[in-house]
Amino acid sequence: MLQVRDGAGETLGVLFERYHAPLYNFYTKLTGDRALSEDLVQEVFLRILRHRQTFRDGTPFRAWIYQIARNARIDHFRKSRPQVPFEPEMAPAVEQGDPAQQMQESELLHRAMMELPEEKRELLVLCRFQELPYEDVARLVGCGVATVKVRIHRALRDLKQIFHALQAAPANSPQRSAAQNFPPRRLGT
Amino acid sequence: MKCEQIGELLPDYLQEGLSGEQKKIVDQHLESCVECSEIAGLWKKLALIPDEQPSAAGRERFEAMLQAYQAGRGGENITRRRDSSASIWNVFQWLRSPVGAMAWSIALVALGTYIGLQLENAKSNSQQDLAVMHTELTNMRQMVALSMLQQQSASQRLEGVTWTRREGQLDPEVLAALMHTLRYDASVDVRLAALDALSRHAGQPLVKKTVVDALQEQQSPLVQVALIDQLVEWRDVEAAPRLEKLRQTPDVNPTVRQRADWAISKLN
Repeated sequence: MLQVRDGAGETLGVLFERYHAPLYNFYTKLTGDRALSEDLVQEVFLRILRHRQTFRDGTPFRAWIYQIARNARIDHFRKSRPQVPFEPEMAPAVEQGDPAQQMQESELLHRAMMELPEEKRELLVLCRFQELPYEDVARLVGCGVATVKVRIHRALRDLKQIFHALQAAPANSPQRSAAQNFPPRRLGT
Repeated sequence: MKCEQIGELLPDYLQEGLSGEQKKIVDQHLESCVECSEIAGLWKKLALIPDEQPSAAGRERFEAMLQAYQAGRGGENITRRRDSSASIWNVFQWLRSPVGAMAWSIALVALGTYIGLQLENAKSNSQQDLAVMHTELTNMRQMVALSMLQQQSASQRLEGVTWTRREGQLDPEVLAALMHTLRYDASVDVRLAALDALSRHAGQPLVKKTVVDALQEQQSPLVQVALIDQLVEWRDVEAAPRLEKLRQTPDVNPTVRQRADWAISKLN
């Protein structure tokens, strides 16, 4: 990053290699919208180019890039439409060879995640999927480490309730139909 | 141990951040408590949601964006090594633009002044000549910055802000233009860059006042958060009441409110 900051734009390609997939997954898990996620990833790298001078030596780079990613998303939703409701085609791509039950659980979990309030979902995505330490997440969201841990626990508790409600819903109910009986879809298809 | 106490340890347990003794306590509790065990199990189950691979089109868009950015930046360092002929062409294009023409004219005047001084005072102190030359160049750079800050294109205004960062001391007119940019520029990026440039001039009371005033005026959470961070960095205790007012604004963005809370706690 220091090379990018000091003007070596070619090295941005290296950062893109390393971070575009994690950032894409950060956005897909938050928004459930693949096309929007692709757009936001591009926006993050454009902002890195524009604001590279503001990167300070010694700052944890991962925390800095996720700060940019959060801001890009906040700005996007401030300027445009509200977040779209969950649609079946947003269900994650699952390997064809997976056992059916595992596939179904994965889809229900994804749906449960999308039904969590946005702030809780974001915390889970950052800590569980992006594997950011609680200290970095605390800095990102602007609160104490202890608060992050409390919120993570509450988010998991809420997720459990939603997940159980979805499991208990009849298989053909509208609640569940989005997450079930839907052919798994590979990305880009 | 009760579930509430385990709940405090659970997040660290899930990220494998507990000591041996504490981990043992949580393990024992999970064996006997269905509720907590399900929560821990859910954390593991989240791994079932697979990661996805972004499409190849993303890489193409990135390459195109990088190229477009390089082209837009003219003779910026990014293109220097990769495509020197394109870089020279971009510089030539820039010199043909109105701003480039002005910079070029001022440079010629400065060069003429320098040569004139050299001829007239051939025996005079060279240190004095250099000082005059330096002043001329400083004035030239500041005029270019001022001119670029008033351009239509956001990238040119951004470039103008970058020019102001090259000077330790800014002319009052340039400083005023920067403060105006921070408050009223249409582009968030330009406003952020202006704030970054102004952060080096905290000694000027008007700069601090402008930053504090901008808190209420700005609509972009990105800029509001940057303003708050700047006030904390300056340790501007007098800004605390304005931050309090901001956080009480009904429609303020939650992230901004959180940041304001954090800033107030830092400043008090």
